[in-house]
Amino acid sequence: MRKSLLLLICLCACAPAAAKDTGLIFVSNEKTNNIIVIDPKTYKITADIKVAHRPRDMHFNADHTLLYVACGDDDVIDILDVAKLKVVGKLVTGPSPEAFAVDEKRKRIYVSDEEASSLSIIDMEHNSIVQEVPTGSEPEGVLESDDGKTVYVTSEAGDLVHAIDADSGKVVHDVVVGLRPRRLAATPDGKELWVTAELAGEVDIIDRGRFVVAGSIGFQPPGMRKADVTPVGLVMTRDGKTAYVTLGHAAHVAMVDVTARKVLGYILVGKRAWGVTLSRDEKTLYVANGLGDDVTIIDTKTRKAKISVPVGRIPYGVLVDD
Amino acid sequence: MIKVRGRLLTALILAGGLLPLAVAADQEPAPPRQQVKIAFVDIDGDPRYQPIRAYERIVLKTPTHPFTGAEIGLDDAAIFSRMLPIDFALNHITVKSPAEVEPAVSAALATGTNFFLIDAPADAFKPLAEAVRGRDALLFNVSEPDDALRRDLCAAEFVHVYPSRAQLMDGLVQFLVSRKWRDLLVFEGPSPADAAMTAAFTHSAQKFGARIVADQHFKPGTDPRDREQNDPALLSAVNRDFDAVFVADEAFDFARTVPYRLARPRPVVGSIDLTPVAWHWTWERNGAAQVNSRFERKSRGRHMAGADWAAWLAVKMIAQSALRTRSPDFLKQRAFILGDGGFDGDKGLAVSVRTWDHQVRQAVLLAAPYEVVDSAPIEGFLHRTNELDTLGDDEPESKCHLDR
Repeated sequence: MRKSLLLLICLCACAPAAAKDTGLIFVSNEKTNNIIVIDPKTYKITADIKVAHRPRDMHFNADHTLLYVACGDDDVIDILDVAKLKVVGKLVTGPSPEAFAVDEKRKRIYVSDEEASSLSIIDMEHNSIVQEVPTGSEPEGVLESDDGKTVYVTSEAGDLVHAIDADSGKVVHDVVVGLRPRRLAATPDGKELWVTAELAGEVDIIDRGRFVVAGSIGFQPPGMRKADVTPVGLVMTRDGKTAYVTLGHAAHVAMVDVTARKVLGYILVGKRAWGVTLSRDEKTLYVANGLGDDVTIIDTKTRKAKISVPVGRIPYGVLVDD
Repeated sequence: MIKVRGRLLTALILAGGLLPLAVAADQEPAPPRQQVKIAFVDIDGDPRYQPIRAYERIVLKTPTHPFTGAEIGLDDAAIFSRMLPIDFALNHITVKSPAEVEPAVSAALATGTNFFLIDAPADAFKPLAEAVRGRDALLFNVSEPDDALRRDLCAAEFVHVYPSRAQLMDGLVQFLVSRKWRDLLVFEGPSPADAAMTAAFTHSAQKFGARIVADQHFKPGTDPRDREQNDPALLSAVNRDFDAVFVADEAFDFARTVPYRLARPRPVVGSIDLTPVAWHWTWERNGAAQVNSRFERKSRGRHMAGADWAAWLAVKMIAQSALRTRSPDFLKQRAFILGDGGFDGDKGLAVSVRTWDHQVRQAVLLAAPYEVVDSAPIEGFLHRTNELDTLGDDEPESKCHLDR
């Protein structure tokens, strides 16, 4: 499906250049204002792309020809051409954009504006903010439902997850979760929403039907203090069986059995592990270590780190073009 | 004479268009809305907030009452009123002297206020403790670091949100020791606060294995006959070498003359240059940047300081207690605040109230004028249960045991 779409784009010969499944690893660095690109085979840095100030959350478009990067201190989302590895455009956001979701069908971006305590709905075609939805203090994680009808946002300082109706831009539900909720992931069956609660040291599981917290998972990596367990990033396999949760100051990634809601094991990574992503074949896990200034690359089968690659200062997010 | 300012700030439901959730879910009529009342009490003429002047026309510092900190706490809590049939109200009470604090608190307590933010010097606390003992009141100390309030007064109705001198100095000494700056020269000022600061610093030095090379008592002024006691170069001309100078000078006029005037090129810590603080306007980790900018917007450009942070956190603790217990019941809220749940103070590790002396355990920031150099507990200072308890009076050495 994706290949045929690719082919179509190639045939159309339209700009930007078509994606090539390069396997390149993209890392946003908050303090050095750049995107570091790592070669997946040699682990060498192949490009260092200057972007606007404080790049954080990143997303590809559907065919991976473009990479969107939210830049918190310049109030823009920079648009990178993945083939040329260059900034080719930008979208204007509200103050301090942090995390976002892209809806290509509706040509919309939903972005949390940390400073404004709101979610901006951006029309990508007209490069304009069409609506500002008020949220709790310091909104962060943004997730759009598969049907595009609902957008979920966490409020870090409000300890809330909001469900927002995408059409009306109104908050339809709030749920109180653990201290400092950060990022979101949905189970593929559409029944559960997982949210990391950084200072509660847990993942809270929201029943999407009733919109209540239906369970939570705690973590205790070997030799680590409970207080150091500060979960932030999370990613789920496509079959919805396994989740990987980065534990921040506890310097580990937890591997979780989603159905059983049980921790299967812990993998040692670097200091303040936050951003996390899986390769498409789900054999490799990439973790950005915010205070280690590096990215740890993990073999998910052996559950061991293969290598850590130094990047810029305060790496936030990591994505793979595959 | 009590002046109640006409600003009853009720937390309002944020932007419109929100469904009445409780009703939608339960198909029942909305319960009557309840109010959680918070009083912020400060003193007009509190000597701790007098402008610090160099000469009559040069103002070096203008310390400001932390009411704005409480206000942003209330703003942050507004959204909870969406989920709870509870509104939060903040009342600003200003009295004229420390002696009037207790009558003001007692009067508000009698009319249904249970939570108080106390912005007053140490001498106001003893009568307060006696007046509220055993009553349904929780008083948050948001600006006074005096160790005696924690150790000797030791009252169950207080929560000390502002860090104690012991916590602040432990944080500073942890930093010095981590840099291997263990030989320390002390310049001690004449005021009781200077003596208290020096005592706390000396205790911290013993605790973490640093040495006081000499304790030099300085005499503020410019009298040339006192130069042995008012010239930093002469005061620092001691036989033994030292790694840093610690200055205890609440009045600040001497402290500002110390950097660059020492007999040896050494850093200065304490009242100037590197100061241990509860909060700093340049702190940007742990979500602090957003708190700082909310504060600066609200105060029209003032930098957020330690007492502002304490006032903000106190309101946050109260709002969280209502949110988490889903109850307007004071006793439940108090149990939650004093429990082991933890709060997000935007300083890293979750903050919580120590059971033994009701001090809020928290990180201490080591602040240079334009940069937070580090935050204590410094990596490597270990504790058997919680690293934050390496700062200040830990349970075994505490003189106060409210939990026993």
